Amino acid sequence: MSVNLGLGQVSNDFLIAALVVYSLSVLAFAGDFAFGRPRRAASAAGAQRAASEARVAQLAAVGAAVAGAQTVAGAPAAAKPPADVTAPGEAGRPADAVPAGADPAAPPATGETRAAGPEQGRPLPEVVPSGFGAVRQAGAWVQAALALSVLGVSAHTVAVVTRGLAVHRAPWGNMYEFVTALTCVATIFFVGVILRYRAWALGVFVMGSVVVALGLTETLIYTAAGPLVPALQSYWLDIHVAAMTLATGIFFVAAVFGVVYLVAGRYGKRVPAGKAAPGNGIVLRLPGAEQLDRLTYRTVVFGFPVWTFGVIAGAIWADQAWGRYWGWDPVETWAFITWVLYACFLHARATAGWRGRRAHLIQLLGFASLIFNVLVVQVFVTGMHSYAGVG
Amino acid sequence: MTDVRAEEAAAGLDIVPSGAGSGGAGAGSDGAGSDGTGKSAPPSFGISGWLTWGWRQLTSMRTALVLLFLLALGSVPGSMLPQEGADPAGVQQYFTSHPALAPLLNHLGLFNVFAAPWFAAIYLLLFTSLVGCVVPRTFRLAGSARSLPPRAPRFLSRLPHSAGYSTALPPDEAIEAAAGVLARRGFRLRRAPAAETWVSAERGYLREAGNLLFHLALLGVLVSIALGGLFGYKADKLLVAGQTFADTRSALDEFHPGRLVGGGDLPPFTITLNQFAASYLESGPDRGQPSFFDARISYTASPGDPARSYDLEINRPLSVDSTKVYLIGHGYAPVFRVTDARGQVVYNAATPFIPGSTGNFLSEGVVKVPGAQPQQLGFLCVFVPTAVDVGGTLESVFPAAGNPAVSLIAYAGDLGMNSGVPQSVYQLDTAGMRRLTTGTELLQPGQTLRLPGGRGTIAFTGYRQWVSLQITHDPGQLPALACGIAALAGLLLSFMVRRRRVFVRARAGERGTTVQVGGLARTDASGGFEDEFASLANELAAAHHSTGPARQSETGE
Amino acid sequence: MFRGTVSRAKRRVLIPAALAVTALVVAVVLVAGAGGGGAAGGVSYVGGSTSAVLYAAGHRHPVPDFTGTTLTGSRLSFAAYRGRVVVVNFWGSWCTPCRAEAPALAVLSAKYQPSGVRFLGVDVNDDPASAGAFARGFGIRYPSVSDPGYVITQDFSSAVPISGTPTTLVVDRSGRVAGAVFGSTTYSELNAILMRVTGKAA
Repeated sequence: MSVNLGLGQVSNDFLIAALVVYSLSVLAFAGDFAFGRPRRAASAAGAQRAASEARVAQLAAVGAAVAGAQTVAGAPAAAKPPADVTAPGEAGRPADAVPAGADPAAPPATGETRAAGPEQGRPLPEVVPSGFGAVRQAGAWVQAALALSVLGVSAHTVAVVTRGLAVHRAPWGNMYEFVTALTCVATIFFVGVILRYRAWALGVFVMGSVVVALGLTETLIYTAAGPLVPALQSYWLDIHVAAMTLATGIFFVAAVFGVVYLVAGRYGKRVPAGKAAPGNGIVLRLPGAEQLDRLTYRTVVFGFPVWTFGVIAGAIWADQAWGRYWGWDPVETWAFITWVLYACFLHARATAGWRGRRAHLIQLLGFASLIFNVLVVQVFVTGMHSYAGVG
Repeated sequence: MTDVRAEEAAAGLDIVPSGAGSGGAGAGSDGAGSDGTGKSAPPSFGISGWLTWGWRQLTSMRTALVLLFLLALGSVPGSMLPQEGADPAGVQQYFTSHPALAPLLNHLGLFNVFAAPWFAAIYLLLFTSLVGCVVPRTFRLAGSARSLPPRAPRFLSRLPHSAGYSTALPPDEAIEAAAGVLARRGFRLRRAPAAETWVSAERGYLREAGNLLFHLALLGVLVSIALGGLFGYKADKLLVAGQTFADTRSALDEFHPGRLVGGGDLPPFTITLNQFAASYLESGPDRGQPSFFDARISYTASPGDPARSYDLEINRPLSVDSTKVYLIGHGYAPVFRVTDARGQVVYNAATPFIPGSTGNFLSEGVVKVPGAQPQQLGFLCVFVPTAVDVGGTLESVFPAAGNPAVSLIAYAGDLGMNSGVPQSVYQLDTAGMRRLTTGTELLQPGQTLRLPGGRGTIAFTGYRQWVSLQITHDPGQLPALACGIAALAGLLLSFMVRRRRVFVRARAGERGTTVQVGGLARTDASGGFEDEFASLANELAAAHHSTGPARQSETGE
Repeated sequence: MFRGTVSRAKRRVLIPAALAVTALVVAVVLVAGAGGGGAAGGVSYVGGSTSAVLYAAGHRHPVPDFTGTTLTGSRLSFAAYRGRVVVVNFWGSWCTPCRAEAPALAVLSAKYQPSGVRFLGVDVNDDPASAGAFARGFGIRYPSVSDPGYVITQDFSSAVPISGTPTTLVVDRSGRVAGAVFGSTTYSELNAILMRVTGKAA
């Protein structure tokens, strides 16, 4: 079947449009940092203090509870949250209590509610609605950024789909198409993360990285729509490469989270040491280290089975095409290395002495090996996967 | 790999009877658990003590992590250097281009990394570590599946998730109603002894089961690979169009049997290549890129069976009697007819040529005529499918045979074949021969070259195509696939299921009964326990016709 | 070629891991093999080499009947040889060890002609022109059937594990394989086997 050049052009146009809209969304996310609705911006030290005070209060309350069992129960004054900490929103949800709104589990808030009478326990929690409500309260800049992101994702998806229609196959047959598709996955996934975990504070980093990746792809390795060599003419291309694209897109987001975690963590260490000025506006808007860590972990947990599936599907295809399911071809070897490194990350997070910084370095190493596989091994190392079509 | 214990420590649980967690320190703290053994000093007592210590070291998560890391690191040279298994020619070339370095690398096994003893040592230690961790955990899981959830803690509000409200129901009825709600939600319950009013509930044992399944399935993959290596085989066969071959040892060009494969184990099928068709892009920037290959074959599964036809394509192997036949290559086989000085036809055959690396199927080959009299004849040839004369040398401009031509150099003398020493059919040993033609001679189909001195003639009568087939049998294939799928299923279970406990306590108070609900999730990889807890707490409250306090919302973990 | 190199995944097997499994498998094989007669039973070697073998009376497998076309174009049926000792030689003009053993075969076929022993060639993977030149060149007078696709060879592999070319089989008067030479044979090896099978030596 011949290539539909008209549709190929449509795809190119939509991709450019997506790139422009993404850039605007990055500006909007940055605008939220600069001019967005002010939030509780306690310094790191302040938060620490609040937490320790809360713990003291809690201990006192526990002591009281032990001493006079029923008397504390249901004491209304104790059950009421301190007014200066939270300002309940319209939906009754104190969105601003969480500094960056990433995960409603900020340690200070926990500590303070613990202070509210251990015998009574916390009042009934509200069944949490979707993230849309939270977005509505987050201010115009975030709303604009999110709208632009969704618009960009739509254009991007149209670009990927029309590319596939133009060449009558899955649109991930060479490296240009691969990067285009994986960034599409990354943005879709990230919009999902924003809605689920209210992590728009990370938007400028994720969307910024997508813009850079997509821009470089467009300028450096653009490949016109064309048919595939017989070795790639298999429905396993759709399955194997789709899984790899999906996983890479998700790992891409995780890598950005990991970098933010490391940079914010470094800042957090430099402030007490007197090497950095406290009160950096950007860092204060970011989710806390623990939330970033958990967000990264959940992202990797999402991507790891997809990657595993991709490797298995690749093995099945290799068996169909080459007569063996595993042959330590360079690309197979690097997919294995990536898998092992992400497995390392998952295990390291549960191992004393490896949690935190070290685990995240391993995670970034895993993503580095993935990128190395795509950009170096597939292009420069001769093997059976040499289909990049760059050159 | 003993991550469950580490996770308990991470979650800060001290309510697990067997748990070694440091307790209450909260997530992110420096948990104890099995990791502590990594730091423990070697014991000062005898051999068994040392062995126990060594075993603990090996099965600690820290060691497993280091081994995993080494596994990744050790694979790197396997992709950067040519490997004997995949690219023996590349290894040869490396030896000639790096004469000083290559022997050293070879000594370290870096040209055959994935069969090297040190690589084997890494993954065997890793899998030993895994077994040492997974087996005890399996027993522990089996034990916990039989035992009941722990007793409810005294102060539920200290748990990561908690809620409280009042109800008009008496405490024992409230607990009864709560137990009903929890049981409906699939929790396993532990009821309080008489005179106490609480209930403990636990769910999500599948998480640990999935985790164990994943690790055991990885072991299964390793065993499957070994199975294929012992009982499988791989063979190659070059087949010219119009020819038949019967699957038997002496017919195969190469045969790589597993360690326990006997000679008579080949299934007795025959394959005839009726026609091979290749098509290439005729225009555009990728002109000459192949677009389609199709080998039309007919085969009989065993002698006496009816012949069946099949289109063998890339990505479309033929399955016959537990083996698979793959199309892995193709090329040209020009047909030559040679007469000797006496006028006898001493050679008349299609001769497979090997495509060179220059592209467009410029192919090289050799014609050996040991039966020519009075002297043996030999020809070094090049076949060009679409020939263009560029300054006196032939070049191929397209892979399809648009304008086929052969250029050759003729030799006469001793081919060295009668000594019995095997030689390659693709190489001509000219040591005992004399060159007959000064330059290269060009032949087009149908043309005949008369050799000087009346030594005979060589005619290029046409060409055929050949395919190379790979025949494999791998009994470890299906087990490996099954284990791979099991590993994936285990992974998904362990990531999606969360193991969580919910406790309900009811106490009689001045203004009715106070109900407390507490919950904790051991690991919550995909998140969402706070939502589940919220919905559960509300359902409990509804079941109790809660009377207050006000259902004011509160975030909490 | 679709791929630059041939991979050998199967060979890259994780040796020590395999060893553990091997131990188990060997045990199973030993147990399974204890009941039936082993394939190695009833074999004796000729001339100190393991490539020339004699099969004892109870361990001879019948060869299949086959028909084929000779190099000169006539039909040949193996049934016509029943009741005689037959030497079946698998060869090809392209095969250097076949060229090395051909003179010995020519001499032995003439020597045993009076005793009723018949020689028969199976010419594998060859063209008739080259094969005819081979026979003329080495003075071989016995017929050969053409087996370009190894179909006859495959038939025989039910009786003997033929693993390459050349292979020479000695079939006894009851149509069973009594001796074999795997690889290039020599005058003395084949002569020793023929002496035994024809009953001229004890």
